[in-house]
Amino acid sequence: MAIRSILHYPHPTLKTASTAVMPSDPATQAVAKDLLDTLAASPGVALAAPQIGYAVRVIVVDVSRKKGEKGHGLIVMVNPVILSLEGRKILREGCLSVPDYTGNVLRHEQAVVEGLALDGRVVTLTTSGFEALAFQHEVDHLNGLLFLDRIQSLSTDLFRRKTSG
Amino acid sequence: MDQFAIVTAFGQDRPGIVALMADSLYQLGCNIEDSCMTRLRGEFTMMLMVRLPQGLDAEALGHRLTASTRSLDLAVLCRALPDQAALRLHMPELPTFMLSVYGADHPGIVAQVARTVAEQGGNITDMNTRVIGSGEVPVYVMVLEIQLPQDRQADQLKQALEALKPLLGVDLTFRPLDSVTF
Repeated sequence: MAIRSILHYPHPTLKTASTAVMPSDPATQAVAKDLLDTLAASPGVALAAPQIGYAVRVIVVDVSRKKGEKGHGLIVMVNPVILSLEGRKILREGCLSVPDYTGNVLRHEQAVVEGLALDGRVVTLTTSGFEALAFQHEVDHLNGLLFLDRIQSLSTDLFRRKTSG
Repeated sequence: MDQFAIVTAFGQDRPGIVALMADSLYQLGCNIEDSCMTRLRGEFTMMLMVRLPQGLDAEALGHRLTASTRSLDLAVLCRALPDQAALRLHMPELPTFMLSVYGADHPGIVAQVARTVAEQGGNITDMNTRVIGSGEVPVYVMVLEIQLPQDRQADQLKQALEALKPLLGVDLTFRPLDSVTF
């Protein structure tokens, strides 16, 4: 289909909650194809449909594009939801849609993700490490959230005092 | 061509300092660009890069700000900035590392650590220090973000830092910064 340009904030689609779609819908298949083409041409490992201008719940993740990472390889997921998260981790995160800036966000080391494959099958993946982080970031995009919405601290966390415990 | 200035200011921490500074700058026609503000114990400290309006230079801004923030007794310093220093350039992505150093407090820790980093070609891009622990046993903690021109220089810097441990009586950890872009 086509390589789309990756939208940058403040494009309004990036702050829109996307709608669920049917994998069998030809429009969904077309969005998936555009996501795959755009991912292949990008320096990243994952993309969500809103990043290329479609407010629908479709993501692609392929952490094997990064040296030393394997994960589940190339995954297209429709209507993904995160079923569970484990292992809190602070991470310096950036986004292709918010160039030249990174921030410390709270993510999780393990994520169980469920969604539909393009053929309509239900797929449940247990992900960890870099792949788990990628899924959390992309599902955020479907809810209109950017890493900017999750910044934990402007500087190092070491000096933040706990208010309890 | 836009003119820029750096403003630094500090004063006893209390609610309303940022509001007064920002409002004063706004009233003077200045635009706050990048800034960094934090509390050091009881003092609130600010560093702001501001874009100046036509006809207002850094020196005049300093006088005006001192006057307009007098109610909070802020110390204010203003310096003009060379044009190119304020340009928003695309920064090259350099290998970035975090260094934590901590140990019983004594003079010279910062100086020796920073000297070692500089000698190995490292660039400190962010740094925080705190004295923690009890009054009788103060512990010094410093956290630095360091950029190196090349990844391969990391081992050498790490070795040089390790060598400081017995000399300074500190513990330290030097590690790549976990930074990912999705």
